[in-house]
Amino acid sequence: MRIYSELLGRPLIARLAIVAVMALVLALVLFPVYWMVITSLKLPREIFRVPSLWPQVFTGANYRILIEDKDFLIAIRNSFVVASSVTLISLVVASLAAYSLVRFRYRFKGLIGRLILFAYLTPTSLLFIPLSILIARLQLGNTLYGLIFVYLTFSLPVSTWMLQAYFAAVPRELEEQGMIDGLSRLGALFRIVLPLSAPGLAAVAIFTFTGAWNELLLALVLITSESRRTAPLALNYLITSDVLPWGPLMAGAVLSSIPLVILYFMAQRFIVHGLTAGSVKG
Amino acid sequence: MRQRPSPTVKSRPSAEAQQQLFAYALVLPVVLLLVGLVGYPLFYAVYVSFTNMVVGGGGDWIGLANYRYLAGSPVFTSAIWNTVVLVVVSDVFKLAIGLGLALLVNERIPARGLFRSLLMLPWAMPAFVAFLTWRVLYQPIGGGINLVLTSTGLYPGIVDWLGQRSTAMPAVIVASVWRGFPFWFVSILAGLQSIPAELYDAARVDGANAWQRFRAVTWPGIRRIVIITTLLSSIWTANSFESVWLLTQGGPSDATMVFPVLAYFGMQTQRIGEAAAVSVAMLPALLILVFMTTSLMQGDGNEQD
Repeated sequence: MRIYSELLGRPLIARLAIVAVMALVLALVLFPVYWMVITSLKLPREIFRVPSLWPQVFTGANYRILIEDKDFLIAIRNSFVVASSVTLISLVVASLAAYSLVRFRYRFKGLIGRLILFAYLTPTSLLFIPLSILIARLQLGNTLYGLIFVYLTFSLPVSTWMLQAYFAAVPRELEEQGMIDGLSRLGALFRIVLPLSAPGLAAVAIFTFTGAWNELLLALVLITSESRRTAPLALNYLITSDVLPWGPLMAGAVLSSIPLVILYFMAQRFIVHGLTAGSVKG
Repeated sequence: MRQRPSPTVKSRPSAEAQQQLFAYALVLPVVLLLVGLVGYPLFYAVYVSFTNMVVGGGGDWIGLANYRYLAGSPVFTSAIWNTVVLVVVSDVFKLAIGLGLALLVNERIPARGLFRSLLMLPWAMPAFVAFLTWRVLYQPIGGGINLVLTSTGLYPGIVDWLGQRSTAMPAVIVASVWRGFPFWFVSILAGLQSIPAELYDAARVDGANAWQRFRAVTWPGIRRIVIITTLLSSIWTANSFESVWLLTQGGPSDATMVFPVLAYFGMQTQRIGEAAAVSVAMLPALLILVFMTTSLMQGDGNEQD
């Protein structure tokens, strides 16, 4: 009933128009997601012969093919290892840097801040060629270590940039009080600033995790063995094979989305704030 | 961190110096990693683009030969054109849709919270999943778009959206707008919510109509955000590899070829010098965008004063 009361006070036509626009927008936004899910549950012969909006038979066959024949769970595990390592390293290293940039005055501070922002905006498409040469020289080609290392190119700048905004919001007086009570500078960071920035840390962690989970170009260039493929890479090789397996492909799409969509809806408030923390400061 | 005792007379100035040292020590890891992983590779890419380097070997300095070769190659010219079209057209649509929906959600509408969450779904799912899903949607056989168009009678024929030159680029743009509009929506919405309600009341008292209120209150309140979002989105779209790669791989016959995909193909054919020249060729345009964005974003008060 509350839903309808929101519309009161407007002419009927306007109310109907608003609801109609919302319905149309939702249909356009949700249809691809719907198609992904039902395609993953359709039998191959149904996908190709009898296109329909609702599967005649629901099947788990696509998921079984993906997991048993294509070892997709290994790819998911690789993605987890890479994305969590990148997130952990970035959080630690970026926290220290962001704290330094926010709390101290020194020469080159402005320059360093500008370089971090510059690095944030430098796209992977510009770096993948020299990075692949660098990684080959370091003997890290075709390893998850190499992948973790190069993913720091985008995770570190964005983490540092976002954390600065969160740390700056922690009142300096709280830290000074803590230090009077005997905390060291690092103690103040770990006991006072970080706990108070917990929502920010969550947003940055999810942002970094997502970035690493989604990355395709560097993985494509650096990883050659099948057992070290990440989820996007495994699905990429699925479409470059001769037979186009739409069912298993969409099953892989569903499985790769689940962790991120759960993370996103769990921490939506932080993320929406985090997304805009850097660019939009009201 | 070990505290060093400082017994000398210098101890007072060195407390300040110690703090400076501490500050540098904290920021050093990020600086070193970024110099090594972003700064050095960037310059190295420029160097490589002037050589004839191939995979697994050194290269000789050949001056501008790679660039001369690219300038005469039709695929390079279409990559420039396609990248510009992709960026400009999808930015325009993302702005229109993002702004429209932000204005709608900023009003009192039913189920606002749920509506807003669902709108973010394309941005919450991984980019590669979004583009793989659109690839399936566009299929002549097994694709949802042809099914909806034929069964609702909107268009009777089956279209191979990604397979023909005339529809491939529009198809890539639609998928890219679907994936990217939520970022615009949420940024603009945050801007709208920071505009004080009194400004609207004042405008209403002055007898301003809806359009005048938008011009006088809303637009000035969100202009900065729209500009920053446009710059960020342009940088990201121009360099988005997976959108085009997963949908069309630049085809059919280069109709959707863009810079990042062309550079990747160059790398696949082992000619690293040429591939580097492709990505370095877009550096000037990119630098302009990046400098504009950094100066706007740094003016944001992110640093404490």
